[in-house]
Amino acid sequence: MQDAMEAGLPLAGIRVVERAAGVAAAAAGRLLAAMGAEVVMAEDPDGTPLRREPPFIGEGIGALFAYLAAGKRSAVVAAARELHALLAGADILLDDTPVADRAALGLDPEAVRGRHPRLVHVSVLPFGAVGPKAAWRGEEVNLIHASGEGYLLPNGLAAELFPDRPPLKVHGHFACWQAGVAAAFGALSALWAGEGQFVDVSVQDAGLAVGAFAIQRLGDGAVEHRATRAFRFGGVLACADGYVELLTLEDRQWQGLVQLMGAPCWAGDPELADPVRRGARGPEINARIRAWAAGQRVADLVARAQALGVPMARYATPAEILEGAHERARGLFAPVALPGLGSVPMLTAPLRFGAAPLPLRGGPPALGADQHLLAPVAREVA
Amino acid sequence: MPGPLAGIRVADFTLHAAGPFCTHMLAQLGAEVIKVESAQRPDIFRRPHPVYGRMGAASFDQVASAKRSVRLNLKHPKGIALAKQLVARSDVAAESFRPGVMARLGLGYEALRQVKPDIVMLSVSASGQSGPDSHFAGYAPLFGAWGGLGWLTGYPDGPPVEMRHAMDHSVGLHAAMAVIAALHARRRTGQGSHVDVAAREVAAAAAGEALLEAAAGAAPCRWGNAHPRMAPHGVYPARGVDSWLTIAVADERAWRGLLAVMGRPELAGDARFATERARHEAREELDAIVAAWTREQEAEEAAMRLQAAGCAAHASWATPRLAADPHLRARGAILEAREPDGRLRAAVGAPMRFSATPAPGIARGTPRLGEDEERILGGLLGLDPETRRLLEAEGAIG
Repeated sequence: MQDAMEAGLPLAGIRVVERAAGVAAAAAGRLLAAMGAEVVMAEDPDGTPLRREPPFIGEGIGALFAYLAAGKRSAVVAAARELHALLAGADILLDDTPVADRAALGLDPEAVRGRHPRLVHVSVLPFGAVGPKAAWRGEEVNLIHASGEGYLLPNGLAAELFPDRPPLKVHGHFACWQAGVAAAFGALSALWAGEGQFVDVSVQDAGLAVGAFAIQRLGDGAVEHRATRAFRFGGVLACADGYVELLTLEDRQWQGLVQLMGAPCWAGDPELADPVRRGARGPEINARIRAWAAGQRVADLVARAQALGVPMARYATPAEILEGAHERARGLFAPVALPGLGSVPMLTAPLRFGAAPLPLRGGPPALGADQHLLAPVAREVA
Repeated sequence: MPGPLAGIRVADFTLHAAGPFCTHMLAQLGAEVIKVESAQRPDIFRRPHPVYGRMGAASFDQVASAKRSVRLNLKHPKGIALAKQLVARSDVAAESFRPGVMARLGLGYEALRQVKPDIVMLSVSASGQSGPDSHFAGYAPLFGAWGGLGWLTGYPDGPPVEMRHAMDHSVGLHAAMAVIAALHARRRTGQGSHVDVAAREVAAAAAGEALLEAAAGAAPCRWGNAHPRMAPHGVYPARGVDSWLTIAVADERAWRGLLAVMGRPELAGDARFATERARHEAREELDAIVAAWTREQEAEEAAMRLQAAGCAAHASWATPRLAADPHLRARGAILEAREPDGRLRAAVGAPMRFSATPAPGIARGTPRLGEDEERILGGLLGLDPETRRLLEAEGAIG
């Protein structure tokens, strides 16, 4: 594994122990590792349950685990004593052990504070470590609906097409990922303050925080609903060979759109020069735009739109993103070696600290690959 | 309460949603954030906007809360000079213009390093500071489209789905984390850095496992509300209009708990549902059984009974329910912010609680444009009232 200090990574020298059975705490560790921290997964003898999550992309290789564990180390801790030996040299603990199971491992906040007074102890749980729901279980589908965004999706075209279907979660683990970011942010902020302390992160809180807009609108007297929060026109447009997103918020962007459409007669209606009137006539405008878009091809349309300053983007498939010229130019993906699969490109991190992308310092570790980190414990016991 | 980030000062040139949410999070944790606007070019989010079908400001009150406000005209050479003086006294300079704009204004990273050699500069943009698409304009739905999250989200037989403000704010949350990481690097090495956060990459990172699946030769699909392992798993109709109950059976304990609460213990012995894999294969059949039961249940009450039986469940909550929730209020995830007109409104708090350095949250609401000039331009930059009056007359302040 490439040395973080030599690579000049921002978190070089920071040591993290991660006890993660779920995506949120593992995502926090993944982000800290990408930024240069040494992150050791302290796993039970049968490994974190994340190792067993489908979809599998090779013999025993889950895509989710491979992505979340890249650049980390793994040590099996068979007993609380071993876990605490690892913690003795750590700056940050990320832990998603359920509240009721913590005392047995000496992982309740008071016990951790007593044994490791300088440690930043970050708890990452579905509903947090305190409050009436601290003991509740929660998976992504529960949590994105407990934090607001679930109820508000889908919006726009999908909501129009399927008005009677249940609301829809975001793909994957969006709320848990936000909690991972919040946990990493909280950990680094506590470490900045310079004293050991307990940081309580909840997936529900994190999902709610990024859903702040709906709370703000409630204060304005408006209740958001998926059936009505569509943009007045634009949004998801079906083209001849795929989908694009169109969003014109500024007058000049609307003028660019009119030009893009070849200045059709209907768009010359003087009333449509007024943004408020355009909003009021949104459905009528949208019917025209959709009819026009249906005959367009995505690549050509998006190129012409951006040249005219019209915000438009292709709804890119994963395969298209992997081949994307922009992503390649920025080095968003780096090769990692996966057993049986050879070298496979993996997303490094969605941020960088200069012109160069953050490196991927390794793939997912085998269970116990870094057992030597416990060697001092064995010596101590002997 | 000073908060963990007390003592950090941020010169905040960000506009709209993503960048301001970042600096708002830093402010909630105790950083001093000074928002720079001008009367000619205020943050567009201060203004009412018809795109949401109403003439009201978008999310300005939330993201401007807990910040200071000054007016500097960045089209005026002396306005630029003042901006540099502000950066020279700051730890962080944050911006969210299109790439290249700050440099054209004379406020690019190299120019800022001249006045503050260890400055941490944050640039938040749609596509990043480099690459062929870096000049593209974008908003949250476009970030989601570019990053794959939009294509992957949706009913399996339907179109992609637009990501909305949650996408912007996710970008801001990532940026806040990155800024503190850069400050740690500065503490260790004495060097600042230019932090580049690309919104489309944030969207892609939330789908990193699907991108890896594609890279390994598989074809990731739209799962809708289903899950690649768990069943039952989904959003089920509950009693009442537009009322929904989410259920996720993560393990055997949850499965037994669900059956007990549904009053269907005999299904535990049903060969069709004997193992997790069998249940996943029979998930449509199972969904129909679960939905037939949930239709007769009140969502809140059913969620409580399922949780007591060890099964993850929660009602799908509309905003009023969230804003009033005792759990979220007890945690400070929902708090009350006071506006300049004295009115209290619900706002979101920072999504973490600190035991030793409690975060101040939103100690003050939305600042009026230029409200803090006496404190910042007078106190921090040391401009006397006469100098400020002259600069205002020249158009550098204002």
